[in-house]
Amino acid sequence: MAVDFKFPDVGEGIHEGKIVKWLVKIGDVVKSDQPLVEVETDKAVVELPSPAAGKILKITHKEGEEIKVGEVLVSIGGEGEKAPAASPVAPSVVSKIVEAVKGPAAPAPEKPKRVLAAPATRALARELGVNIEAIAGTGPTGRVTSGDVKNASSRRVVSREGAPIAIKEEKIRVSTETGETRIPLSGLRKIIADRMSYSKSHIPDAVGMDLVNVTRLVAVREREKANAEKIGAHLTYLPFIVKAVVIGLKKYPKFNAHFDEEKQEIVLKPRFNISIAVDTPDGLMAPVIKDADRKSIIDIAKEIVELAELSRTRKIKLEDMQGGTFTITNVGSVGAMFSVPIINPPQIAIMGVHRIKDMPVVVNGKIRVGKVMGISLAFDHRVTDGAEATLFMNEVMKHLEEPELLLIEMI
Amino acid sequence: MVVGELTTNCDVAVIGGGPGGYVAAIRCAQLGLETVLIEKGQLGGVCTNEGCIPSKALIHAADIAFEAGHSENLGIVSKTRIDFRKMQKWKDDVVSGLQNGIAGLCKNYGVDIVKGRAFFTSSNKLTVETDHGPADYDFKNAVIATGSVPTALQGLEYDHKWIIDSSDALALAKVPRRLLVVGGGYIGIEMATMYAKLGSKVTIIYRGERILRQLEPELGIEVQRGLPLLGIELLLNSNIVSWKAKGKKAYAAVKIGNSTKKVLFDKILVAVGHEPFTKDLGLGKTKVQLDDHGFIKVDAQRRTTDPNIFAVGDVAGGPMLAHKAFREGKVAAEVIAGKKSAFDNIAIPFVVFSDPELASTGMGEEEARKSGYVVKAARFPLSASGRARTMSTKAGFVKLVSDADSGVILGAHIAAPNASDLISELSLAIEMGAQLEDVAATIHPHPTLSESVMEAAEDGLGKTVHIYKQKPSQ
Repeated sequence: MAVDFKFPDVGEGIHEGKIVKWLVKIGDVVKSDQPLVEVETDKAVVELPSPAAGKILKITHKEGEEIKVGEVLVSIGGEGEKAPAASPVAPSVVSKIVEAVKGPAAPAPEKPKRVLAAPATRALARELGVNIEAIAGTGPTGRVTSGDVKNASSRRVVSREGAPIAIKEEKIRVSTETGETRIPLSGLRKIIADRMSYSKSHIPDAVGMDLVNVTRLVAVREREKANAEKIGAHLTYLPFIVKAVVIGLKKYPKFNAHFDEEKQEIVLKPRFNISIAVDTPDGLMAPVIKDADRKSIIDIAKEIVELAELSRTRKIKLEDMQGGTFTITNVGSVGAMFSVPIINPPQIAIMGVHRIKDMPVVVNGKIRVGKVMGISLAFDHRVTDGAEATLFMNEVMKHLEEPELLLIEMI
Repeated sequence: MVVGELTTNCDVAVIGGGPGGYVAAIRCAQLGLETVLIEKGQLGGVCTNEGCIPSKALIHAADIAFEAGHSENLGIVSKTRIDFRKMQKWKDDVVSGLQNGIAGLCKNYGVDIVKGRAFFTSSNKLTVETDHGPADYDFKNAVIATGSVPTALQGLEYDHKWIIDSSDALALAKVPRRLLVVGGGYIGIEMATMYAKLGSKVTIIYRGERILRQLEPELGIEVQRGLPLLGIELLLNSNIVSWKAKGKKAYAAVKIGNSTKKVLFDKILVAVGHEPFTKDLGLGKTKVQLDDHGFIKVDAQRRTTDPNIFAVGDVAGGPMLAHKAFREGKVAAEVIAGKKSAFDNIAIPFVVFSDPELASTGMGEEEARKSGYVVKAARFPLSASGRARTMSTKAGFVKLVSDADSGVILGAHIAAPNASDLISELSLAIEMGAQLEDVAATIHPHPTLSESVMEAAEDGLGKTVHIYKQKPSQ
């Protein structure tokens, strides 16, 4: 029976070798233990003896070629035999070597996670009470620098969604004077402060801005407002914007996503849950319109009113605040031409929509008075770049400028 | 036992004036702590008095003598005569000079040195038996740095006449004509080499299959290969079954495999390791615990299971090396002073003053592989070093172990003249998380042996200039 002699781990944990010289050729009859080939590993040149007696049927690698452990070197068989199609392992002699190949590989320990950091950096981490193992180093091959440690110390972070993010920073001293009023930062205000600090200091955000001619959208909304009122819905521009945004998100799914910092992965979300920033007396809240892609404009209009009311009266349930995949902040209800919103982590982007104003617009080369709205998009530049962000914005803007397109996209 | 009535208060009591102890004491004093250093023998410990320092002094002297007599190829023809008494005197001067240095430093830094044997009476009290009677100390913190003692072998108990330990071996009055060394560790090899160079007929008797097992295999092999050139006989898989002294002559029965032979000897040096010294320390009066091997259990701050008491050096486990103790002593002192210090070293170098010298730091190749790395092992032979040629040496190499993925250096192993000095660059590289490229792209002075380190790094990157390697065929 023919046997395939596989290149063994010659006992030193090597992975490959180079054929230096064949000591036999096809057709030669070899004895057991007769040297077959000289192989150079990164340790030495070794002579490999034949595991069996027989005729050399096949030589797989030429002199000078690389061979990996486990690859067939030669087929050895009795007179008149052909090389085996498959590669059964030689039962007696080779099995011993094969075991040696398998032996060390069996436990396959995971590569140890060693923190690469200079002794002074490690000492700094101890001094500042920072767990250096949790820091993603910015130096070569992930080396943790002293700067990384200082950064980590100034914002100790739990970036789980919804969880409060603890911030520890060098405090700026404030001088006191008589007659001042001091308001303790507590509750919602504190959470907002922490989350915004985290987002602003941690996420390299970039912002795009543009003006949208919403003249036709204004007309549609004016026409439908009364009808909506009859069925109990207060129709603002926001439901239209939500719909236009969802269409944009479908085309550019990276904006309907979370960023998993720990694993350094972008998590594309299957649902379209749009967080709507709502101003309440205690501070900003962001209730979530779940599955906005499957709801009508009227449904969304109703839900916005309900969620906003529940938020303002602080009766909103936690689950209505969770699961958002993209945020829209409507600054327009109070004013401003443009704003630079802050990303709500772990989300990747937030869109600011602003007051609609009468402004000159150019239509077919002529200046007309049009209804114009400023929009801004802040996005996490780690996840995506300006070009894609602009394309996403363009897609949203197209559906705001031509609201009838929303019909086409309707399910 | 009568205990002194006068009690002295101190911030820190350090027991043992060796490398771990005196460094801890000085660092404590530097940090403003009232510190007492208690030593029953000589300041400096085994290292200064009976270990590193005297052995290196004698090895240096032996090397000069040997080189002088073996450099005919360089045109040096000399007949060397060794005045061993004078050599010993010179060595003793070196040792006492360093002792005085340590005493001076302690004094200048304000460390109170107390001579005597200390034992704990509670977690914050100890008594010192001094020449003037017992003295009590109340301490806020204590550091145990009592070191280790040579391990005795059954049947070859130290009588310090025929059967000697490493301390005795450094204080002999004359060079033994016939020296048997039991043990294949670094002390045995260093002593064997030194006395062979001084003219002894040396036989190493070792029960194992290869010497210097704690090092990268190639290092031990490199030294083993050189032993016959020094006239040293190496008997592996062997042991001494019995010995007998008759008048001035002594014989040992050495068992090698299944046969036994009779060997004449003047001295048998037993160098089979050291064991932690915790005897009569009164640890039972504290909450200090020992591990299964008798070492004091400590954490990364070198704090024992008794929160007021720290332990450093040989007694605290890990490699028994003075430089490890130095670092631990500083860590313990800083922690006691309220600093956030920790023994977090990745690379503890290990050096052997054999021929050639050996030095290792970080992980061995096999160790790295077992811990899950895909390993790249690179090397550069000294035979390709210009500097090595000018020193009339060809033996030796630099081997670097690195992570194949990132190029991060994991370990280094050197056999070369002054390997003990060459290794530190690589310990720094490992502590800094350096890659092969960092070492390869650093200019190393020419002509020096340190170039071999750079060349080995380049070998790891597949681009060493000074050895020809055929490109793998595409």
